[in-house]
Amino acid sequence: MIDLTNITYTYPHTVQPALHRVSLSLEKGRCVMVTGPSGAGKTSLCLAASGILHHEYGGKKEGSVIVDGKDVAEYTTLSDLAQNVGVVFDDPEAQMIFTTVEEEILSALEHRGLPASVIEERLAAIMKTTYLENLRDRSPHHLSGGQKQRVALAATLALGNDILILDEPTSELDEYATKRIAAILSDLKQQGKTILLVEHKFNHFRDIVDTLVIMEAGAVTSTGTPEHVLSDERIRAMVMPDFSTIRRTVPPPQADTPIISVQNLHHSYGDVEALCGISLTIRRGEFVAIVGENGSGKTTLVKHFNRLLTPTSGDVIVNGKNTRECSIAMLAHDVGLVFQNPDHMFFADSVRDEIAYGVNNLGIENADTVIDAALRDAGLSSSADLYPRWLSRGERQRLAIACVVAMQPGVIVLDEPTTGLDGNEASVVIDMLKDLQEKGHTILIITHNKEIAQHCADRVILMENGKIVSDTRGA
Amino acid sequence: MAEILQYVHKDAFLHQLHPYSKIFFIIIVSLMAIIATSIPFLVFMVVAMLGFAACGKLLRESLQQLKLILVMSVIFILITVITMPGGETLGYVIPAGIPVIGGFIPITSGGLMIGIVLTLRFMILIFAFQLFLISTQPRDIIHAMEKVGLPIDYILMFIIALRFIPTLQIEGQRIHEAQLARGFNPGTGITGKVRSVAPIVIPLVSNALLRSNVLGLTIDMRGYRMGKRTHVRERILFSRDYAVMGILAFVGCGFIALFIGQMV
Repeated sequence: MIDLTNITYTYPHTVQPALHRVSLSLEKGRCVMVTGPSGAGKTSLCLAASGILHHEYGGKKEGSVIVDGKDVAEYTTLSDLAQNVGVVFDDPEAQMIFTTVEEEILSALEHRGLPASVIEERLAAIMKTTYLENLRDRSPHHLSGGQKQRVALAATLALGNDILILDEPTSELDEYATKRIAAILSDLKQQGKTILLVEHKFNHFRDIVDTLVIMEAGAVTSTGTPEHVLSDERIRAMVMPDFSTIRRTVPPPQADTPIISVQNLHHSYGDVEALCGISLTIRRGEFVAIVGENGSGKTTLVKHFNRLLTPTSGDVIVNGKNTRECSIAMLAHDVGLVFQNPDHMFFADSVRDEIAYGVNNLGIENADTVIDAALRDAGLSSSADLYPRWLSRGERQRLAIACVVAMQPGVIVLDEPTTGLDGNEASVVIDMLKDLQEKGHTILIITHNKEIAQHCADRVILMENGKIVSDTRGA
Repeated sequence: MAEILQYVHKDAFLHQLHPYSKIFFIIIVSLMAIIATSIPFLVFMVVAMLGFAACGKLLRESLQQLKLILVMSVIFILITVITMPGGETLGYVIPAGIPVIGGFIPITSGGLMIGIVLTLRFMILIFAFQLFLISTQPRDIIHAMEKVGLPIDYILMFIIALRFIPTLQIEGQRIHEAQLARGFNPGTGITGKVRSVAPIVIPLVSNALLRSNVLGLTIDMRGYRMGKRTHVRERILFSRDYAVMGILAFVGCGFIALFIGQMV
């Protein structure tokens, strides 16, 4: 269905090719999964295979892409190509143009030249396949990440193409939402669709993947059946990271004193109660993982630690201070919060300036030494003068952590620090956090990744519907 | 968070009307609001707009923008008071009692009247547009505009501009929180304020640009710009639409006739 032969592609205004002599063949009814570190060219591969690179981007191209027996150059426009290929991009928000779920899918269906009765039939079938029947009239702003991603997929399915290309459809989804996407793709494969999937979570998709492709630095470094590809130790560590081997750290001696104490905390957004009576003590030097489905109140809880949210009732005591009596700026000395999407914070012209921003805001002494140390710990010393947005996703994540670490807070809270990273990159981030714990910081991570929670944290807190349902200590 | 100008899914009178009827409604109401100068009549029109909103079960949504409207009103009135003095002096913006600077900027009856009239007109227009947008699905707006012969690219631009207002609001909020956690200081004085804008606006704009790239590709890949379309669940003009347009035409013509009558 799709044949890429020796594709080498260089984006305009860049020197290094994003794809280097990439060949890939996608046969009818098969599923090919592409994985590799961030910045390896996986998204570029999606764009090349769908013909978007050829039609929308300039730059230098070599090699050929055949879609459905025809070279992409022979298709006159992108809309013409779209008759054969459906693409789901990684940002679901940008793929929702209309105001209700049904309207989104219906609008996509209306452009296929089908008779009205068939459209209604197909609409119903697609809603069923993607589990969207109960969300028919919801607006995009009232959908979770997983629901939005399903809508984007449904609108693409509406086009009725046999070839589907999906670029990291589950990157920000929890376990449950990821399983749903996997179940949908399994159904679609059975229906005979041909699927090109870029993903990090091989485990969830292992049943449907026929061919596994590893990309590194713009080139395909390994390809074949999953068993064959994963027989290589190095690749196995990247695709199926084993966090059980991560070193255990000994909590520092002062581990008995509480640093955060939450007392019967309630928080409501309007009529919705997001936290219902949380009580919790976190001790100095602990490594705590908070797990739970999307919407269980994890982020709402941690936003109380630096007073981005104020309790509706109850108290949060940080370092002996009631947060109700402190400003956010005061608490920034005690608690650093690294948000899920690092791109929400970068604005400076260089990596170094980015780290300096927080340091200067808090008036920390010896700023240069502190910034140098943070750069070194994050492994970014050689990138200090680069523009932050040019870094790979893994590097941006480490920069986001460095920005907060440099502000020297006792507690560092990280919301989904391994989102969008491959096994190796996630291990580097976890290692960095372990180092910080050894230096005496208290670490709290919110994560969907059960293995990380189990093997890396001293303590795992499970939340459901705004309550803590279990709080267990590791061995 | 209040969602500015977003479609609200309901099954009520305004939702059942054809987009044409609602566009005709905006035209007539705007004409009347622009022509009318009598404050009691304009107040009546504001109340009527809220009455229509209540009929369409959209009163709560309409009133969500009240804060913005009130802030704009104060600004309008201040500007006209300062720039268009006329008639009797009723008082001073800076009370005469304050030494040296007291007694400056007179509030005149003429300036105040113009300010109030402008504010009321502004309120009527906002309410009328809002009623149209929150009771009409973008799909129907696209169909209606396409039929009138507007190019699809312009229609999509309009729809997308509206659609992404709340997305930017939410994103702005997240960025603000991320920067607050880094000790972001909103700054004082004009230079401080300007300088403190960068940490919020740069990420917001950079992310929006990235998103617009994906959005553009999505539009192409779904074939929205091809212009061929099977019309499903197409809106047709019902008798209620003819009734509404008839009443609007009658009221509009009557109003203009009265207005011309007054002029003569």
